[in-house]
Amino acid sequence: MTATIDARGLDCPQPVIMAKKACEENEEVIVLVDNEMAVENIRRLALKMACGFSVTEKEGGLREITLVQTGAIDKTLEGRGPSAEEDELSCVAAGGKKETGPLVVILSDNHMGRGDDVLGDILIRSFVHTLLQLKPRPDTIICYNSGVKLAVKDSAVLDDLQELAKNGVDILVCGTCVSYFELGDQVAAGHISNMYDIAETMAGAGRLLRP
Amino acid sequence: MEAQGYVVFLFPSVSYALKAEKILKAAGIAHKLIPVPRHISSDCGVCLRITEDRQQDVEEELRGRVEWDKVALL
Repeated sequence: MTATIDARGLDCPQPVIMAKKACEENEEVIVLVDNEMAVENIRRLALKMACGFSVTEKEGGLREITLVQTGAIDKTLEGRGPSAEEDELSCVAAGGKKETGPLVVILSDNHMGRGDDVLGDILIRSFVHTLLQLKPRPDTIICYNSGVKLAVKDSAVLDDLQELAKNGVDILVCGTCVSYFELGDQVAAGHISNMYDIAETMAGAGRLLRP
Repeated sequence: MEAQGYVVFLFPSVSYALKAEKILKAAGIAHKLIPVPRHISSDCGVCLRITEDRQQDVEEELRGRVEWDKVALL
């Protein structure tokens, strides 16, 4: 069976993932892509999957890749977890493409680093203070676990968080955590959020900063 | 921030800054522990930021109890 995959306009690693899936289910796969990067990534995939690989350049930057199963299976891929495969599907970015998507800062603790809490307190205060000067400015700050304590009335970094909020930074404070620490009436920066929004925000981030 | 002038007290080490912070907290003088601004030093460190108008008060509180290196304009 021959399957045709149109991966034009899709960002890495989509084309590779689609090609891989199609190869697993078909003897021959034709993949349409519109950039060299995708060609290279699929070439590597073909090597790994021991597929025959050929590419034809067509009009308008279109590349037609043909992958043919040779029946040989790459034994090294068997029995490995999905994340191992995903690592190998990682992309060769031409010239270090900058990720799009929001810059999200995670404050998962009201200390920074491990080993000494007094020091950790100083460090997290310094860190939050410098966020104001970060370029580009963070889009979102997420506070959970003891990190929510940074957003309460007597927090040493409250003024920094409020300044960040004034400058358009969205500050999410985990409601479960606020409730657990019984800080309900003391949150003074940002707004109460839930795990769905928090997880969604983390998943959709271009970059995640975790001090 | 509003047009409030700030000065920073610089200390020989972090522990001095922490001690000073405790003193100012007890004395009820507004202060903030911040990273030493880059135009003052490239070494990592923290300093105490206070409003210019309280510089004298702060010096009085700290004198004899904790040493500071110098006071600089923010």
